[in-house]
Parts: sequence; C-alpha cells; structure tokens
Amino acid sequence: MADIATRGTRVVAESGDRRRLSDGGPRAGIVLAFLTPFFLPFVLFYLVPIAYAIWQSFLVVRRTGGQYGTSYTTFGGFEQYAEVFQNGEFWASIGRIALFGIVQVPVMLVVALIMALLLDTPLLKLKSFFRVAAFMPYAVPGVIAAIMWSFLYSPQLSPVVDLLKGLGLEPDFLGPGAVLWSAANVSTWLWTGYNMLIMFSALQAIPGELYEAAKLDGASNWAIAWRIKVPIIAPSIILTTVFSIIGTLQLYAEPAVLRQISSNISSTYTPNMLAYAVASGNNYQQAAAISVVIAVITFVLSFGFMRLTSKRAGL
Amino acid sequence: MSNTVMRIRLAGAVVAGAVSVALLAACSSPAPSGEASAASCQPAQGKVTLQYWNTVPGMDQVVALWNKKNPNIQVETKNIANDQYGTLGNALKAGKAPELAQIGYDQLPSMRTQDAFVDVSACADAVAAKSKFVPWTWSQTSFGDTGVFAFPQDTGPMALFVRKDLFEKHKIEIPKTWDEYAADAQKLRDADPDLSITFFDPNNAEFFNGLLWQNNARMYGYSGDKWQVTVDSEQSRQVADYWQKLIDAKLVRTDLAHATPPMYAAYEKNQVATYIGAAWGYSMLRDNLPDQAGKWTIVPLPTWGTSAASGDWGGSTVAFMKGNPHLYESVKFNTWLNTDPEALALENKLGGLYPAATAGLALPALSEGVPYYGNEKIFDVFAESSKNIDTSFAWGPTQKTVNLALQDAMAKAVSGSGKLTDAISAAQAAALKSMQDQAIPAAAGN
Repeated sequence: MADIATRGTRVVAESGDRRRLSDGGPRAGIVLAFLTPFFLPFVLFYLVPIAYAIWQSFLVVRRTGGQYGTSYTTFGGFEQYAEVFQNGEFWASIGRIALFGIVQVPVMLVVALIMALLLDTPLLKLKSFFRVAAFMPYAVPGVIAAIMWSFLYSPQLSPVVDLLKGLGLEPDFLGPGAVLWSAANVSTWLWTGYNMLIMFSALQAIPGELYEAAKLDGASNWAIAWRIKVPIIAPSIILTTVFSIIGTLQLYAEPAVLRQISSNISSTYTPNMLAYAVASGNNYQQAAAISVVIAVITFVLSFGFMRLTSKRAGL
Repeated sequence: MSNTVMRIRLAGAVVAGAVSVALLAACSSPAPSGEASAASCQPAQGKVTLQYWNTVPGMDQVVALWNKKNPNIQVETKNIANDQYGTLGNALKAGKAPELAQIGYDQLPSMRTQDAFVDVSACADAVAAKSKFVPWTWSQTSFGDTGVFAFPQDTGPMALFVRKDLFEKHKIEIPKTWDEYAADAQKLRDADPDLSITFFDPNNAEFFNGLLWQNNARMYGYSGDKWQVTVDSEQSRQVADYWQKLIDAKLVRTDLAHATPPMYAAYEKNQVATYIGAAWGYSMLRDNLPDQAGKWTIVPLPTWGTSAASGDWGGSTVAFMKGNPHLYESVKFNTWLNTDPEALALENKLGGLYPAATAGLALPALSEGVPYYGNEKIFDVFAESSKNIDTSFAWGPTQKTVNLALQDAMAKAVSGSGKLTDAISAAQAAALKSMQDQAIPAAAGN
C-alpha cells in the first residue's frame, strides 16, 4: 500500500518537471529576467562568500619585524585544517552537538509527528487554534526565546524553580550536566511547531479516497495513521530530519544566550561558537577552516541520511 | 561599561556573533604595510570633517557642543556599541576607518598588532598632553612612551562597595585587607546562612584581570625581540589561590553572572553583602537597586598586606586611526574631548564616564556627596584608587583570546573540575598559542 502511494506522488512530480523543461528552451530571455533577481544576490552574497571562506582557510598569517611588526597572509596549504583537526576543543564541541542531536532531533520529530497526526484526525476540536498555538513559538526569534527561557531556568528569577523547590526538589537547569538539555529544550520548543506544520501540510495533501478505501478494507484509525499516513508523508519526515541535522550542527543562539547566565557553557561549546570565538581573536583564517569543516560535515551527514533513507523507503 | 552596555551584550553579542560568522568571508586580509610612522602634523586649509566612532551614550551631545564652537573642525559621531571591534576591524580592512575611534585599554595592543593606529607624536600638542592624564593611562596609550597613539578617556579604578547596614547589623568590621575580607566572609555566613560576602563570576575575565593588576601581576613584557608572556606568575597564582579557597569553602556565590538580572535579584534579596567594582559601578547599583539607597558605602579595595596598590577594570581611550589625514585637527578635538572640564562634565553626566584626565577628577560633580551613598564623597575613593594603579601593567596582543581561555578554565574550576590556578596556566598557554597563530614572536617569560 505504501508503495503505491509513494509511487503516485512520484509520477506527479516527474510530469511536473518535464513540463517545466520543455517550456524553458525558446524563452530563455524571459527565464533569465525572472531568475536574475534571485541569482545575482545568490552569487554575490552566497557563492562568493563561500568561495572566499574556502580561500581564506588555506592562508596563514606571517609577520615581519618588531613587537608590532607588519602582518601579511600567505598560502599555507592545509596548515589551518591540521590545526582544526588537532584542536581538542573542536572535537569536544562536535561530541557535544552529536549527543544533542541524537537525543533532541528524534524527540522533537516524534512529538511533531504525533501532533500533526492528531491535528489531522477528525476527532480533534478547535483545530485551527491548536495549529496556530503549536506554530506560535516558531514566530518568536530564537534569541528572544532563549532569553525568555533563561529567565525560567535562572534560580534567582524563575517561578518554575521556586515551585519545584516548594515541592522539595532542587532543580539546577544550568548545572554542568543539565545545561545541554536545557538548551535542547529551547530548540525543541522553538522548532516542533515548524516541523509539525511541514508534516501536517503533507498530510493535508493525501487524497480522501485512500482513507475511504482503507475504511472499506476494515482498517482502524490507528492502522490508517501508521500504515497510510506515515508512509505517505515519509519524504516530509526525511526533509524535517535533514533540516534538523543542519540546525543542530549550526547550533549557536540558544547556548550563546544561556552562556550569559551559566558558566557551564564555554566559549567553544558548539562548533559555531568556537568559530566565532576564534574569529573574534582575529584568527579569521582558522575560523574559516573551522567553518568549512562544519559545512563538509553537514553535507556528508545530510546527504548521507537522505541516501540511506531514500534507499530504505524505496523513493 | 554601563548597565545598558551589559544588557545590550546579552542580545547584541548573540546577534553580532551570528552575523560575524556569516560575514567572516567578507573580511579581507590586511595587505603588508609599514608600521605607523610619525606622520606630519600640518593644519589643513579650510573646513575639515572628522569621523569619531564610539559607544558612549550621549556622546553626540558632547560633540554638538564642540561643533558649535569650532565651525572649521566639524566632527561626526557614530555609535558602534553593538559590535565595537567587529565594526572597527571591518572598517580597517576596507580602508574606511574613522579618524578617531574608542578602544578599550585592554584592546590597544591587539588593535596595534592589526596596524590600526597612526602615531601622532609629530604634533607637539599631542606629546604635551601626557601631563594631563593619570600616569597609568598614558603609559598604556603611548605603549610605554614609544609614541602617541590614543588619548585616555575614562577609567575604572576599582573599589569595594559595601552594604554597611548588613555589616553593622552583624557587628562585623569592614575589611581593609584580603585576609580580613576572607575572615569577614566566614563571619557573615555564620551570622546568616543565606548571606555571602560576594560572588565570583568565572565568565568575567576583565574583573579578574583587574584583581591580578592590583597584585602587581604583570602579564606581558617585551624584551629580546619577543613578547614575554608572564600571565602565569607567582602574583597571579596568589590571587587564584585566594579565590579558590573562598569558592571551596562555598563562602562566595558562583551562580551569578555580572550585571545580569539574576545578580541584581540576589542583591535585592539581601543575599550578597559586598560588590567588588569599578568607578562606573556607582551608577549601576544606584539605577538597578533603587530600594537600597543609603545602605551602601564605598571603601578602598582590600589590599594584599600593606601595599596600597589598586587595579583598573574597564575604561577606554580615543585612538588616532590609521589613514587619518587630519592629525592636527584630530589632536585638537581629542584634547578638548578628554581634558576640557566642560566636555568631561557632560560626558560624566550623560555617559557616566569617570575621566582619565587629572583635571577631570576635580570636576564639581565628582567632588560632591552622592545621595544614593548617604551623601558620601565616593569619588574621593576612586581618585585615590586611580593614583595607586601600577603603571607598568601591559595588555597582550591577543587579549580577547586569552580572556576567553581564562574564562572557560575558570568556569571549569567553579564547577569543581580543576582549580583556578589551572585557569592561570590555561590562559598562559592560550596566550602563547594565539600569538603563534598570529605569527607574533613570543616566549614564556619569568
């Protein structure tokens, strides 16, 4: 059943592609006119900076003469990369976000999937309210969300901590062991609604006839959810997973804000924070090398995941 | 370093950080160029416009006063509080640096290493300005009298802020030495189990550096064509050991970050009895703890033994930036900005600056009693502190990196894995490593 359904969507997608291609040729000028507003900034503010960062990562600083001698940069091959790979802080930060991702991403996506499936059942009342409510956190900028949560974590300010203390508990949301999960909680709060919405819109696109057919075959609501809905929206789930992997590797705002009130987050807590700390010390070349390594790891993980899952799901 | 600055840091640092990572690639490498040599100091013909970038609240009003009096030397200000050094670094690389810019004392060597300054010693007025400033500030802006690269603007001489009502209530004497301070920490705790004498914020290297400075810990020197790195010294270890003991005995709070809402909340709840601060801290407490008016007094920083030495925490200079075509006019404006009593009074009123100029210490506003502190003449304490600051102390050329390494290691010590003395050796190692990365000749000194 799953197979038929996915193959169905694939056929639609392919015919769409073919139409676009056949139209393209004779009207190249129009296409160009429409694409330039996108491609010009894309090249200027995306491709050129990336190329420049890669170039920078192969340079090293040299200096001539005296206490405040004059500096210049020269080609240094893989010297910066060797430094990155020998940097214990770098690997520690990678380990930290790996742990973060392995726990936070599945938790968030499972919650998002359950919420999307609940919103899609005819049983739920006040659907649009729940949909907006779940999506609301995504409308809050990440930095603001983290500041808000830091007030809830702080033992001096938080009503939550006071309440738990009243119950005889001694919570320490900012302690050495807990602070990673406090940051994960902020990310989960921020992004669950967004992921839910992607899954929910995929659910909305499933034709009703499939459910009717399933009902005639005697499938329960549970079986419909598990056997029809989840397999059909598998591409969306994979998409959200890839987004989440990328997001985890680029984790910055949440720990950087919590760092203001917790000394258990170091300046090199995540790879991006490390890159920033190195750049703020004027070592732009090393920071560029760190950025390139993060980008490569991100590519490998997200494309690796896509390949793996698309083979499994037969996409 | 007002409270607003701290608050901006909370959100601003994050946004700026994210943006800077993105902008990394936009920064070009500096082209080889000569060390800032003494340029000529001729007045320009006709009208001149100078750019002056800073982070001081109300500075535009101070400059407006100058502009009214000096139609031929017009100054334009720009507030760069959001990302001070990022903005300046990018402007330098693009060759679009302002004529004058605000630089913190601890960033002067780092900026000079990036070839950010021009030496204005060709201007007689600039050289003569030396006598107008508190000695230690000039030794930093002149890099030990090797030129004139900046004028001192404000300083943060340190002192001890004390909740005198709590000390009176528990019949404890206000400490004069660090030994007495540690003993009082225990007495306060015995009197009230919820009371701590102060807090130790491991994420505040600037504060800790001020304490090192007080104990004569000279972190950097220069000899034999190399920087001598002496971050790890007997004096710095003594300070680290002292605080480690207080932390181990749980006599100081370690869960409060400086100038954050949790810190103010702890003071508000009468859980902390002293605040080790700098001159700019007087308005910080006044504005954030309005209910405690009349309960605070300010006394000299506790001393190591009988030495009256004090330290500095914060403060800034106004530097002459590379490529400045109007040295004569820049010196004129900079002299007025940082030594004229009218300008200093306005900067103190609007920006809370505590002047680096000796004339500034005699300002009416700084010789009167301050109502929040029971009408005590608190600025006398800071003036005295200012005189007792070691003039030989020097910052390093990669200070930011060293501060971060120090903070990360101090945080580990506070959470129980490691000691503060480990943080001293970590900072020493980071100094050597970061200087090596920048190809700056350096060796471990002794």
